[in-house]
Amino acid sequence: RYRVTGTLTITAVRDAEDDAELSTVCYRPEGLDRLVQQTNFSKKELQVLYRGFKNECPRGVVDEETFKNIYSQFFPQGDSSMYAHFLFEAFDINNNGSVSFEEFVVSLSIILRGSITDKLNWAFNLYDLNKDGCITKEEMTDIIRSIYDMMGKHTYPNIKDSAPREHVDSFFQKMDKNHDGVVTIEEFLETCQKDENIMQSMHMFDNVI
Amino acid sequence: MAAGVAAWLPFARAAAIGWMPVASTPMPIPPQRKNKGQDGLIILNVSGTKFQTWRTTLERYPDTLLGSTERDFFFHEETSEYFFDRDPDIFRHILNFYRTGKLHYPRQECISAYDEELAFFGIIPEIIGDCCYEEYKDRRRENAERLQDDEEMDMSNDVTPVNLTYREYLWRAFENPHTSTLALVFYYVTGFFIAISVMANVVETVPCGTMPNRSKEVSCGDRYALAFFCLDTACVMIFTIEYLLRLVAAPSRYKFMKSVMSVIDVVAIMPYYIGLVMTDNDQVSGAFVTLRVFRVFRIFKFSRHSAGLRILGYTLKSCASELGFLLFSLTMAIIIFATVMFYAEKGSSASKFTSIPAAFWYTIVTMTTLGYGDMVPKTIVGKVFGSICSLSGVLVIALPVPVIVSNFSRIYHQSQRAEKRRAQRKTRLARIRAAKIRGTNAYMRYKQNGLLIDSLEEEAGQALVGKAPNPPFESQHHHLLHCLEKTTNHEFVDEQTFQSNCLEISLMNKSGSRASSLSSSPHGLGSCCSRRHRKKSSFSLPSTNNQELSTIQIRERPMVNSRSSLNAKLDETVPLKCDQPYITPSMVSLSAPVVTSSDGHGSASTTPYSQSNIVRVSAL
Repeated sequence: RYRVTGTLTITAVRDAEDDAELSTVCYRPEGLDRLVQQTNFSKKELQVLYRGFKNECPRGVVDEETFKNIYSQFFPQGDSSMYAHFLFEAFDINNNGSVSFEEFVVSLSIILRGSITDKLNWAFNLYDLNKDGCITKEEMTDIIRSIYDMMGKHTYPNIKDSAPREHVDSFFQKMDKNHDGVVTIEEFLETCQKDENIMQSMHMFDNVI
Repeated sequence: MAAGVAAWLPFARAAAIGWMPVASTPMPIPPQRKNKGQDGLIILNVSGTKFQTWRTTLERYPDTLLGSTERDFFFHEETSEYFFDRDPDIFRHILNFYRTGKLHYPRQECISAYDEELAFFGIIPEIIGDCCYEEYKDRRRENAERLQDDEEMDMSNDVTPVNLTYREYLWRAFENPHTSTLALVFYYVTGFFIAISVMANVVETVPCGTMPNRSKEVSCGDRYALAFFCLDTACVMIFTIEYLLRLVAAPSRYKFMKSVMSVIDVVAIMPYYIGLVMTDNDQVSGAFVTLRVFRVFRIFKFSRHSAGLRILGYTLKSCASELGFLLFSLTMAIIIFATVMFYAEKGSSASKFTSIPAAFWYTIVTMTTLGYGDMVPKTIVGKVFGSICSLSGVLVIALPVPVIVSNFSRIYHQSQRAEKRRAQRKTRLARIRAAKIRGTNAYMRYKQNGLLIDSLEEEAGQALVGKAPNPPFESQHHHLLHCLEKTTNHEFVDEQTFQSNCLEISLMNKSGSRASSLSSSPHGLGSCCSRRHRKKSSFSLPSTNNQELSTIQIRERPMVNSRSSLNAKLDETVPLKCDQPYITPSMVSLSAPVVTSSDGHGSASTTPYSQSNIVRVSAL
């Protein structure tokens, strides 16, 4: 749905020691104005975002390892690698194994500045691991388990092994209207829009930048 | 905490949108952004060298000079910049710390100058990155040793403290002969007597001419037996007195008796006493003669006087495994060649190689290139193998010697470095753990402050902010963690609380059977919320640790209003799920005398919160 453009330059560097050619991938995003058009961010916001992005990923693209590493620094107590993996899948629009600045900023624009339907769509896309249009119980269990993994071991009360499954069951009870075992996008949108708490929390991070 | 990736916090918060639809409880309110849009450049003028950076970069670490309001003291109005009269070269590294989150130590800088700069800017050295940490610690230790040596030299020139007990004084005199003249005298006297004793042992055995009524020569020891005996007695008396004095003066007698030096002392004087006891018994005179051999061990007493001997002994001890392996491989070679030579020389007549053990002697002598010549092979096969043996002996013997020598130095240095690394690893792991715990505690305090402040604001209608509010980054990060807690409906606790909870739960489960006779109220397995209404005194903030918990419990009277409002507020907003399996009927009996509000008492099933609260209060 979104075109991701930018210049990908591959420069070959001769490594003196091994006498082999190392190729360093350097990625430069398209101009600032183009990005302002594509997203709902202002110029200043994009500047701030890019500075932070480039600081952690000097090469201009972030691979899954770095992504997981960065995300894990915010959750030192638990294991956030699974959830970071799912996030990475959601951010990597063209599925090339790395997230460029454009993909990064486009997804952020949806989450932070998009309409409520866009946000819910994005969340649905995150949960739908195989992108087939519906969330099965297994997919949801994986997602929820990854969220619980981020809590780590030292919690109160102790996280039992059945906690994720119970959570999934309650989720499906709420969302799956026709009880066919999967949650489609329509059911998801409908239920979320009726739930006040979810609506309110969707707007919580709007002014994060 | 995660200040190094502070710029990615907006992303992490945005990614939290994935938790929203599955959250089981409503989300907490995000912190308000004050000072929005104050992302300007700051100019830092350090002795003329101008550095510029973003304001937010500096504010990532609010407990340092540059990140807090302390820098306002250095603001220079005329030039509207911050002026520091410090070293600009070292400041570069400090500013890089803010930028990258890693502190590096430049090798060419003096360690004390660097430490001073770090202290000035309020940065603790423990956060130095792994790449530079070892170097930093090494330099620091060298510096500390140098300072300590200086101090010790100064100290040794001072007058010795007078308030040492006699025993300590004696021990000090023994260990360090240079402390007083008496100690020095004693030191030299014992050294002299050791030398005398050893020489007497040697001279005893020299043939000394014939005695008048005998034809063959006698040794000096037999000729002047009385003189030697007196000399021996004198030496042994001196040694015995010395040993007893050391024993008396030793701070830990058991440790002293186990030490090598004292064992040598004992071995040196024992033969004399045993000899005194056993002189008239002819049967054991053979053993008595053997015992005299042990007198030569007196020479080891010199190691107290010589540091070199001590070092040699230590290095031998530390290379014991290498030597053992060398011995083992030599033994293998000896056995192989001895067997071969034996079978090769079996055929020849009048061969000296009567058995394989007899051939061992030949093999050893040949391999070490000694070649006494008392055993030589006569057959051709024997000579062939004999030459192979001597050739390989050169290799087998000559090779390990440099290996041992280099092993000595390698092992010695390696063990020192390994110990250093082990100690550093422990402190580094402790650092990481401490940082994690600090982060968790900061988060707990944030939550506590947030809840308390909210409740107190409600009550008093004014902000009772005891400490300064958290900087925006920290509060946003904490809010994010709070959202995660709400999503999963579990809470973060620190390790100690977690472990104490585990203990309590196991205790509860154990005593469950005992208290099963208690009556359970009709509200047995009801929701904890309703009980929370009634249990005014036993609710407390679940995330606090034991200390705070108990104080809150005790202070319940004056704060009961705020507590009930806290209760009420939480009840409205937080429909908690109770964890059924943790409900046991056991703990009520313990709490009966202490907890005041008695409504919830009869209820057999309580939430895990209340249960653990009750336990802690009664434990007081």
